[in-house]
Amino acid sequence: MPDAPTILERPQRWDAAFDANMTDEDVNRLLFTAPFSGMDAEKFPKRTPLREIIRNDMRILKFRKGEIIMRQGDYGTSAFLILQGAARVVLKPDLAPSLLGRQATGKKGVFRTLAQLWNRSRAPEVLPRSILGQSSGVSARQNENETRVFLQDVPRILDQHRTAQMTGGEFFGEIAALSRMARTSTIFADSDDAELLEIRWQGLRDLMKYDDALRTHINKIYRERALASYLRATPLFKYLSKEQLDHVAEAVEFSTFGDYDWSGEYKRLAQSGSVRPEKEPVIVGQGDYPNGIVLLRAGFARVSQKFGGGERTLNYIGAGQIFGLNEIAHNWRNKDATTNMQFSLRAIGYTHLLIVPTRVMEDIVLPSLPKNELPPPVAKADDDIDSPPPEIATREKVGAEILEFLTENRFFNGTATMVIDLDRCTRCDDCVRACASTHDNNPRFLRHGPSAGRLMIANACMHCADPVCMIGCPTGAIHRESFAGQVVINPATCIGCKSCFTNCPYDAIRMVEARDERGEFLVDQEMKPIAKATKCDLCVENHGGPACERACPHGALTRMNLNNLDSLSKWLKL
Amino acid sequence: MSERLPAPDFDAQNYARPNQNWICGHACDGNACRPGPDAKGRCCATAECKPVLELKPGETKGRWKCTRTGGACEAGPLPDGSCCRPIAKCSPVPTLRWWRGRLTLAVIAASCAVLLVVLGNPPWRNNFISPGEISQPHSGEAFTALAATNQLNQGCGACHVAGNTGPRGMVHAALHADPGILDLKKLAMAHAATPTAIDESCLKCHAGRNMHQPSAPPVSCSFCHMEHQGRMMAATTDANCNFCHGDATKMAVAAGAGNVSEPPIHHFAEDHPQFRFITEKLRDPDTLKFNHQLHLTGATIPNLPGGQKLDCAFCHQPDAAGAFMKPVAFEKNCRVCHSLQFDPETPQLMLPHGNADFVSAYLRSLPKQYATLAAKENPADVNGFVTAKLAGLRTQFGSGEDLERRIFFSTATFGPEAQVGELSGATRALFPGCAYCHEVKAAAGGSPQITKPVQTEHWLAQAKFNHAKHLNINCAQCHDAVHSKDTADILLPAQESCATCHSPRGGVADTCAECHTYHKPPLLAR
Amino acid sequence: MTRFHRQLCAGLIALIIATAGALWLNAKYSALANYAYLTGWALLAGMFVLTIYNVRKKLPFLPLGKSETWLQIHIYLGFFTTLLFLIHLKFGLPHGWFEIVLAWLFVLVSGSGMVGLFFSRVLPRRLATRGGEVIFEKIPALRHGVKTAAEELALGKDAKSPVIAEFYAKRLAVFFSGPKNFWHHLVESRRAAGALLAELEDLRRFATEADREKIGKLEALVRQKDGLDYHRALQLALKLWLFVHIPLTYGLMIFTILHVVMVFGFSGGAR
Repeated sequence: MPDAPTILERPQRWDAAFDANMTDEDVNRLLFTAPFSGMDAEKFPKRTPLREIIRNDMRILKFRKGEIIMRQGDYGTSAFLILQGAARVVLKPDLAPSLLGRQATGKKGVFRTLAQLWNRSRAPEVLPRSILGQSSGVSARQNENETRVFLQDVPRILDQHRTAQMTGGEFFGEIAALSRMARTSTIFADSDDAELLEIRWQGLRDLMKYDDALRTHINKIYRERALASYLRATPLFKYLSKEQLDHVAEAVEFSTFGDYDWSGEYKRLAQSGSVRPEKEPVIVGQGDYPNGIVLLRAGFARVSQKFGGGERTLNYIGAGQIFGLNEIAHNWRNKDATTNMQFSLRAIGYTHLLIVPTRVMEDIVLPSLPKNELPPPVAKADDDIDSPPPEIATREKVGAEILEFLTENRFFNGTATMVIDLDRCTRCDDCVRACASTHDNNPRFLRHGPSAGRLMIANACMHCADPVCMIGCPTGAIHRESFAGQVVINPATCIGCKSCFTNCPYDAIRMVEARDERGEFLVDQEMKPIAKATKCDLCVENHGGPACERACPHGALTRMNLNNLDSLSKWLKL
Repeated sequence: MSERLPAPDFDAQNYARPNQNWICGHACDGNACRPGPDAKGRCCATAECKPVLELKPGETKGRWKCTRTGGACEAGPLPDGSCCRPIAKCSPVPTLRWWRGRLTLAVIAASCAVLLVVLGNPPWRNNFISPGEISQPHSGEAFTALAATNQLNQGCGACHVAGNTGPRGMVHAALHADPGILDLKKLAMAHAATPTAIDESCLKCHAGRNMHQPSAPPVSCSFCHMEHQGRMMAATTDANCNFCHGDATKMAVAAGAGNVSEPPIHHFAEDHPQFRFITEKLRDPDTLKFNHQLHLTGATIPNLPGGQKLDCAFCHQPDAAGAFMKPVAFEKNCRVCHSLQFDPETPQLMLPHGNADFVSAYLRSLPKQYATLAAKENPADVNGFVTAKLAGLRTQFGSGEDLERRIFFSTATFGPEAQVGELSGATRALFPGCAYCHEVKAAAGGSPQITKPVQTEHWLAQAKFNHAKHLNINCAQCHDAVHSKDTADILLPAQESCATCHSPRGGVADTCAECHTYHKPPLLAR
Repeated sequence: MTRFHRQLCAGLIALIIATAGALWLNAKYSALANYAYLTGWALLAGMFVLTIYNVRKKLPFLPLGKSETWLQIHIYLGFFTTLLFLIHLKFGLPHGWFEIVLAWLFVLVSGSGMVGLFFSRVLPRRLATRGGEVIFEKIPALRHGVKTAAEELALGKDAKSPVIAEFYAKRLAVFFSGPKNFWHHLVESRRAAGALLAELEDLRRFATEADREKIGKLEALVRQKDGLDYHRALQLALKLWLFVHIPLTYGLMIFTILHVVMVFGFSGGAR
């Protein structure tokens, strides 16, 4: 007897308001504040009226002097508008890591490394006294249900660092919110009556869609601050002169796709099996006229092809990759035998991309490329296919089952995914024990996870290219070690709020209850156990790289970058 | 219906801790407690919460509050501050890895215990560590008694320094061994057959390391004689001998040291040198004149008293041991034909043999001799008999001195030759005089000096030979007596003759030790 | 060629060359005085390097090279050391109790190593093919859950079928009570569980409509339990061979050291 279908409500745009406490008064007040006062409510569609955007996608935050609003290096999905009061941007030099809730790290010295042999705690999850007593120059205070971290010595910071003040009406954080890149500066409140409006990225995107002024403004600053340097670094444009680049930069459009966030609803959807490529937002459709090449800046997109009644995944692409170049180049060279887009591109979760229009490509970019760097012509369906395009080849390399498995579970996000070959793994647990030996006798991953055929993706932090766990940490305990480096949690500043634990879609973070040397649970004043978030840190402090990989005697375990399929296909074929 | 294992899912909340050695005893029910066992395997569960005393300002006694993680319980803590819901202690279960650790410790302990017990107890120790059975002469009560009289230690200690001193003694001996434990260079470069410390033990009873050549370098006893190989000590092999004798360099060095130069030998049948009596063309120095060919094949040789022809075996009899032949004796082997009758008329009278003085005395007492004979044969007229005989002699030979002289010194083979009667069927052989067979010299004053014949018993002095083992071979196959006319011929076979049988082709044992021994008393004079 | 094929080729080639070299050297130098000492030291050196692998495993936090590389060396050196062992014994048998025990220890250690190598290469694929994955320490709890579910079905409050209850008490209770059929699973025999399932199928004849559904569920539970048993059996085999290999290595080392002491103590320099 078949199971009755599980009926789920499709997540609506505003199932969960950003702040349930937004009152009508607040909304009205905001409608009269710039820039909303200048927006034309008629332009907004009935489904997403301006009023509702304000109510559901924004919230008002009050800050006291010294409280940190955002940290450099954090990931955030919100932009901020100063309604009242002032905030300060730290320009130069950057604040010390300890002030931002991070710990200064380096590799363990020789003695500390050797001492791991005899210094291991007997009880699990022992929190050393040294960590508890760390004074970092910041303190935390509970503010209703939120924790705010504030700088203790603001004058000294103003003394030692060059800062700039921002006052009412100024926007900041929009580029990071839209492009899901790390925040570029630390900003803290500079007055006790600071009042900020936090706009989450969905709201920002919709505002930009329907309000010209905001769009122009954000476009302008985006192009000014971020785009030019990014384009300069793109290999496709390396033969262009400065003027040509500026031309391209002017013509580029950028957009953001995705209807829901990674965690929460996504996890629920994935478990019920109703995540299907057909339902994902389409960026480019198969058979569409090539409007321009798609440059993926952040997030991931699925390349698929119509197959029977559904869509067959061929590949996924991540940040820095290009889609559509083959067709446009083909059309440019064979003006008589043009072709349409061969595959469709769909956003997986959240995607931020740039589109370089076809005109610009044909006029400026393609002519600049030498002949041997142009892609081969697109083969017709009935032509002999000697060398299938790279997208199909990838599918063959890795196998359809594994490709679907990785894409459905969004494992391609990982830059250090723990892949276990079940044909070679003897279940000896050497990897877990090695991990424990480098972390004071506490393992930081579970040797178990979803599997497909021969591969198992274990519950170990994948150090994602798009780390959702880092969004929303109140103290900055979870941070990146270096630019695009490993994601680590500082146990000293972690307050156990479980934001990262809830956000992570891969069950890679686990909350542990801290203990003392005797094995007794540590408790706070109310006798509640102190919980810390823990996860794999890729052995940043240890020499020799991840201990798990080194410890597997049968070559069954590897930490693999799944942003593209090269490593995986090589590992499978080996 | 899914056949999947009941938990394709994983625990999203907790880590698995294979690095810990103890698991909560309730885990097998799925109810592992939160704290878990401690590192020593004791259950740490006490109660569901740790009550805290809440003392509001102005109060003295205060109130105990339940601090359970999941939410306060209804009953609340007991008045003395303990939680009202204790958790039953479990019996923590050790992991497999813990068991393996214990097993390892047990094996180590057992090994050490067994070894200490066995090694500390001499009778068990000797049986346990001996790498093989000791040869019969070195074991048993007789050897023990001998060891006692020679003031040696008992048991292993009779030969080994480390023998009876227990584990500590063994370690001490090992650390002071030469070459030492870590002396790899010395171990690798050691020369074979060099005498070692254990040779001292052998020499305690087997004194004197007699080398078969005085100037040969000393060889370790253990090079040829390996103990602990079984009841029978293994026989030496050709390899042991070839170690020196097959090595041209060593033989050259030996030749330089004044020994006889020997070529390298590897195998009897292949390259054993020809026997020296042949190569050096030695001659038998025996002064006795004997013609084997005549005696064995001559037409004039009569049959023996028993009727058989004269053969090798009549004269050459094996001695008691059977290895060599007894010396040929005149009385037994020669007189049967060579009766030494000097008077053709009176063959009953025979000269004594062996001592010239006796012969002289006999001759000078001839009248008496004749008288004795007459008394036997013709007692009536003794005197007349004697006189007649003496007259006859005088006629034949002249004076008594002439007779004596002729008897001793004559080599004539012709002259009055009388067929004198039978003596039990034997024919008398010719007797012209002693010199017919012997070398007779005239000393000062005319008295005869008869050189004593020398019968060499053992020609191949360096080798053993046992005629008893060769009984199935005809004498003539090895000893070419039939063609020998001169006493000086050495009638021994050449090396090839021996090799006919003593070779791989011949099938008889052909090792060096078959004929040669290594340890010998000093060389016999040749 | 996969990475593992490459490792196998490289290892085998090295092993063949080393074996040929060792046999040639043996033929050439076996008449040396003290040859047994030299082969003994070579054997001890090989055993020492083999034992060091355990030390490396206890120091995973030091950058001492990949455990995979160490294991490859351990395996091929293990085979080569067995050859050195035979050469040291002059391809004969040991004499005397001590030497016999020492030789047996070596044989057991290297033999268990070969068995372990076989298990490590053969059993994981079987586990992966069987489907599902469980952590060994969690199996008892899962088994308990399956047992509870089965008991609930057969003997619980809602269970009204005497047929099923009787069958459960007679046949299934034992099956669900603990790990079963270790040897069957090790040799890939499905006989035991197959028999139970066949009997359950037979039971359908006597069952009512509602009961048939229960029987179906029980069958699923039997299969689940069988899968758990299979995983337990194979994972246990993958752990148990080390119970021979590692403790006996320590015994072997003790006896070996004593052997060195005795050889030097008693030899008096003779070979």
